[in-house]
Amino acid sequence: MKYLKIFILFIFLHSSFVAFSHEQDDLLILEIEQGELSFQDEQMTAEYKAALKRQRKRQLAAMPWYKRFFLFVKAGVVHIIPKGLDHILFVLGLFFSSLFLRPLLWQVTAFTLAHTITLALAALGFVQVPSDIVEPLIALSIVWVAVENCVFKKTTKWRPFIVFGFGLLHGLGFAVVLSEYGLPKNNFVPSLLAFNIGVELGQLLVLITAAILVWFMKNKSWYRKRIQIPASLMIAAMGLFWFIERML
Amino acid sequence: MKKVLIVSIVVLLAACQKETKKTENQVPVTESENPFEQEWDTPFGVPPFNKIKDEHFMPAFKKGMEENLAEIDAIVKNTEAPTFANTLEALERTGKSLTKVQRVFFNLTGSNTNPKLQELQRELSPLISAHYDKITLNEDLFKRVESVYQDRENLKLTDEQLKLLEDTRKSFVRSGALLNKEQKAKITEINSKLSELTTAFGQNLLAETNGFELVLGKDDLDGLSEGIIAAAAETAAQKMEKAETEEGRAKYKDKYVFTPHRSSMYPFLTQSNRRDLREQLYKSYVQRGDNDNETDNKEIAAKIAKLRAERARLMGYETHAHFVLEERMLKTPEEVYDLLMQLWKPALERAKVEVADMQEVVNKEGHDFKVAAWDWWQYSEKVRKAKYDLDEAALKPYLSLDNVLKGVFATTNKLWGLSYTELFDINVYHPDARVWEVKDKDGTHLGIFIGDYFTRSNKRGGAWMSSFKGQSNLDGKERPVVVNVCNFPAPVGDAPALLSFENVTTLFHEFGHAMHGILTNVTYGSMSGTSGPRDFTEFPAQILEHWASEPEILKSFATHYETGEAIPDALIDKLLKASKFNQGFANTEYLAASLLDMDWHTIKADEDLKDADAFEEAALTKIGLIKEIAPRYRSTYFSHIFAGGYASGYYSYVHSAVLDSDGFEAFKEAGNVFDSELAAKLRTHVYEKGSTEEAMELYKQFRGRQPKIDALLKVRGLDGSTD
Repeated sequence: MKYLKIFILFIFLHSSFVAFSHEQDDLLILEIEQGELSFQDEQMTAEYKAALKRQRKRQLAAMPWYKRFFLFVKAGVVHIIPKGLDHILFVLGLFFSSLFLRPLLWQVTAFTLAHTITLALAALGFVQVPSDIVEPLIALSIVWVAVENCVFKKTTKWRPFIVFGFGLLHGLGFAVVLSEYGLPKNNFVPSLLAFNIGVELGQLLVLITAAILVWFMKNKSWYRKRIQIPASLMIAAMGLFWFIERML
Repeated sequence: MKKVLIVSIVVLLAACQKETKKTENQVPVTESENPFEQEWDTPFGVPPFNKIKDEHFMPAFKKGMEENLAEIDAIVKNTEAPTFANTLEALERTGKSLTKVQRVFFNLTGSNTNPKLQELQRELSPLISAHYDKITLNEDLFKRVESVYQDRENLKLTDEQLKLLEDTRKSFVRSGALLNKEQKAKITEINSKLSELTTAFGQNLLAETNGFELVLGKDDLDGLSEGIIAAAAETAAQKMEKAETEEGRAKYKDKYVFTPHRSSMYPFLTQSNRRDLREQLYKSYVQRGDNDNETDNKEIAAKIAKLRAERARLMGYETHAHFVLEERMLKTPEEVYDLLMQLWKPALERAKVEVADMQEVVNKEGHDFKVAAWDWWQYSEKVRKAKYDLDEAALKPYLSLDNVLKGVFATTNKLWGLSYTELFDINVYHPDARVWEVKDKDGTHLGIFIGDYFTRSNKRGGAWMSSFKGQSNLDGKERPVVVNVCNFPAPVGDAPALLSFENVTTLFHEFGHAMHGILTNVTYGSMSGTSGPRDFTEFPAQILEHWASEPEILKSFATHYETGEAIPDALIDKLLKASKFNQGFANTEYLAASLLDMDWHTIKADEDLKDADAFEEAALTKIGLIKEIAPRYRSTYFSHIFAGGYASGYYSYVHSAVLDSDGFEAFKEAGNVFDSELAAKLRTHVYEKGSTEEAMELYKQFRGRQPKIDALLKVRGLDGSTD
């Protein structure tokens, strides 16, 4: 083994014009010694992805803390806008449930609390749910909140608890993304916190935008009929589509 | 109507404009898009990997060769009388763009290849050989070199310049420049015959290696580990995919295939409990090229050896070995034989003890057979477990890649004050390739080190060092970009990469080559770094391995990746003891092949010799090789010497090993493995010098005397001290 590996070195010692060139022979010798390389797309893609992740982790570990913190905040935001259309729709689903600040606040708090818990648990490796289970369920959760908006005129008392349950699911979804991103081991808690802050910022941005857009019509009599219900129905339809798509 | 007209004119004009713009841009854009035709504005001259596409290589090679020939032509046509500056130094400056593309290409075809690059490689190889032939066989160019050479004593050349002149001239002479027309024609004829024969040898061997397969069913897998079985199933699946007939496919369905490729054969020989199958696979391996079929290599090998002898005679040498060794550290076949035979006896003695050890295990297991060659891997593994009891799994947590890198960096820091900064903003060819800037004690930039450590499916097996940019002080200070490529297992998931101790020595070894490439400090690029003779260039690499197994250093870097606890002494003891395991076998098979190589290339041109078998048998009987061991390569599959460039050079490894053991012994004698005076000598006389002086002189300047063999015998446990 050792001789072989030393031998291979020489193949690559080619430089100035004085050197003899034996590349053709050497290629043949390699094939004899080692057999042909097999290029299998699937495996190569997996290898490349894993290498990218290792590279990112090394880069992260070498950054000053504030840069790293900012980077994870940014990753959190980006995962909502623009990458997390399903999370945006879920948050909008919450938004269209009520025009009063208090019930909305309860729901958003429940959602945030829940996804923070599962995100942390999954990132720490305590919970592991395959994404082909989590993803369709996330789509269903969107359908659920949107349909509820149409059925009940006022938000129900148990709504925050349901939202809490769904939040647990969404947290698992965030964790998948975060694990692809790679959390630095020596900087686990701050990075997780930063990512979470980013997610909250993204969420807040969605809510504020939506609030500005409907501000002038929230007191109109036709708000529920023309805005709340159609919007919720569209959200539900989209959720349903995703559910089917993700089940296939 | 008017409006419509205006609109249509505008549209037409716009279309025209677009059209002309396009044609204007197209030609120059695509040409200058080729990064090999641009100046690289990258940091430290690292190739702009993100811009290099597969289709850039061929045009760049063609243009590089053209340019190179034009440069040579300009030197030849220079109307001034030949001088060192307008001939030798001018030659040094030629071929820059060709070298640039060549370095990138051959690095990538090894470390990050694809089917397209492999195809290109096949296409390019003959073109490149032909190109360099045009230069070494250029008579007018030689005349100029020769004229400078004849005048050398009046030129007040520095030692380095004189060596460059001599080496350059020698390379022309060795290609036949001093011969008369008739002799030259004869040489050309021999060369073309040789080229045909060596190609045929390789093709035959490839066919023979791919031709045999051991197709097994579920019941034949006794003893094999899950991983090995899975790999064999994969091989079968691939063969099934390639089969063209239904019958062919059926042959591999639900089967397991093993082949005489080492990666497939060794695990099988080690693990399989089926002695009959072990024998079958092993014999298929050692019989390659010796099956009296159309791909037989016996006659070809003999013909090659005879033609080489004839060429050597024409050039005025006694044998081909004399011709080759003239350029090596050991200058004559006698010196080589002397070295090999000094090692041969102790190695063979040790191997006999190993056979006895294995026989004991066989008897204990209640079997009734004598250990044969195909039992060696299985029973030596059993002996290893019983005698050395080194648990690789217990060792690995102490050897995370990051810690080992810290170890090798710290070692070179203590020796020479080097420091390393990892760079993250440099574009490399793969995300697993890491980049460091290497700085000297005083903070000056020395070079860029790229470490590409993990195995992947588009990387060639083995480990090597190479460079993307060389070093030269001819036109300002050019500092090198050097790469180490290894095949360590990639980490699974988020766990850190953990190495075996063999991996650790490999890493130190390749890093030693990298140091040779980075510390180098010479005027002329063609003499920089690892350009020295083959039996010397392994020395700077191998000597660094010794630091990896120094307990003091091991303890400093081999810390548990989870607990941070240093490696326990007991584990180090076991590790060092295990390094002497199976050395009888390893040395015997290697030395037998080296001696066989020497025998083949010390024959005379008129020797009566028909085929390889009788010759080989005589050679091996003469040295008393035991039948439980075959030479590392038998003649009919010794591709290094009959298809590659290793003729009468296979001994090189052990010669370098003599140097590294003897060289490290100097540090031991000094009582300090970081002795500053010795370290400085090692740097200035070995790592910095490239091939600017005779290798033996360099070694003596470092060591203060000629190398001795004793330290090597001790290191390999061949001095009788191993039980």
